[in-house]
Amino acid sequence: MTDWTVEGLATAIRAGKVSPVEATQECLARIGRLDGDLRAFISVDEAGALETARRLEGEQRRGAWRGPLHGVPLAFKDLCFIRGLPTSCGTKTAEYFIAERDCTAAARLIAAGAVPLGKLNMTELAMGPFGDNAHHGHARNPWRTGHCTGGSSSGSAVAVAAQLALGALGTDTGGSIRLPAAACGIVGLKPTYGRVSRAGVMPLSWSNDHVGPMARTVRDCALLLQVVAGRDPLDATSSAQPVPDYLASLGAGVAGLRVGVPENFFFQGVHPEMEAAVRKAAEVIAGLGAQVFEIRLPDPQTMSDVCNIVSRSEGSTIHVRLLRERPHEVQPVVRARLELGLQIPAYDYLQALRLRARLARAFITEVFAQVDVLVAPVIPEPAPPLAHATEGPVHELVARQGRFSRLTRPFNGLGLPALSVPCGFSSAGLPLAFQLVGRPFDEETVLRVGDAYQQATDWHTRRPALD
Amino acid sequence: MEESRAQQAEVAALLGVIERMAADLALAEEPSRFIAALEAGRAAEGEASSP
Repeated sequence: MTDWTVEGLATAIRAGKVSPVEATQECLARIGRLDGDLRAFISVDEAGALETARRLEGEQRRGAWRGPLHGVPLAFKDLCFIRGLPTSCGTKTAEYFIAERDCTAAARLIAAGAVPLGKLNMTELAMGPFGDNAHHGHARNPWRTGHCTGGSSSGSAVAVAAQLALGALGTDTGGSIRLPAAACGIVGLKPTYGRVSRAGVMPLSWSNDHVGPMARTVRDCALLLQVVAGRDPLDATSSAQPVPDYLASLGAGVAGLRVGVPENFFFQGVHPEMEAAVRKAAEVIAGLGAQVFEIRLPDPQTMSDVCNIVSRSEGSTIHVRLLRERPHEVQPVVRARLELGLQIPAYDYLQALRLRARLARAFITEVFAQVDVLVAPVIPEPAPPLAHATEGPVHELVARQGRFSRLTRPFNGLGLPALSVPCGFSSAGLPLAFQLVGRPFDEETVLRVGDAYQQATDWHTRRPALD
Repeated sequence: MEESRAQQAEVAALLGVIERMAADLALAEEPSRFIAALEAGRAAEGEASSP
């Protein structure tokens, strides 16, 4: 049952073939068996999950259905505040983040019938692209446990890839959904900025934070997005743009769509196996009827730098109290990044925000006049060994972090929807992936292309050998 | 000392983009125009090709 899709399990529960309690028990048993090594979870809420599942089962017997996720076990990154469960945000402090209300995205999933299994491991304060965490144990890549998971939503990717949960919530400020999704061979969607409420989620950078779904198929991500998307009065930055029927648009094919493959920046210094797999994925999409061609993009490094200035400034401002009062509790690399943010003058922060507006306008106008979506690598290389994230001088570790997240960060600055999709394996058996990037609020098209690709390939059906 | 020097160099490199590009920003440019760009980008979607 843990190998099923979100949609498949929800359908089976609805048909009475399995029960929410059975599904939850199977996930909990698998977590008990595997998570001691994988470290996907910071806290497992076994009693709460079973209680919820039993309640849902009772409602099922009475013919009452919460919604499209009735009885489906999911898990949430440990920066989503849920009353009654601690929210460490990957720090040493169990209850680091307390919000006035439950995380809107998690609450919407629960209202739609999801069973919350617990809270997932993450990089401390969501600051870091590799998934290492000295406080809670480094999350382990299910495909090669000596390798990084990607981060910062490390536990979200591991839990889904290892079939401990059927889907998860992650957050993405510089790539934190897409990087672990790519490194662990699952699908991850960073929606458009404002598409999903950030209320009840620990902020790292209010200008660049995005909440999004992670699952094994594009179709499941579409289903989860359907539930969490839309205006939330508790988040002033959430958009009132109407939410379309994402599942309805899947299966429409890609014939005639214009797909751009960047000729600058995105393939520079990328591992040959990654480049070959991404270009092959573009060929598959072309074979499905899309027009695929190369396109020169406005310099993504500029947007990446602007995004970095904004994220560093806001992250340091938000977490300054921890930095000043308990610096010894913060891992050295995270501390170095927070300290750096405090050195950025207000002048530069404000100019970065003004520049961002101009750059986004230019990029959207110029690029999407030529293409409907972009195809590019997500990570520059397959997941590196854990030592790459943990061993070496601090400045070198920070530099490695910057290099690993350089292909995702521009789209945080631009606020565009970006979907990471698995597209193969390296010779060492590690996942390879590409990202699809679309117009603002056009998650429909990136999901449609990603789903068409998955219908034509079987990479998403592969499972790590854990049993 | 080495870490401190590396950090100063990183800040300088990061802020280079402001030095290079912020001087010719229009007076009317302000951060809220980012959201406007996203909303306008959605509005232009009708121009997209579709199957």
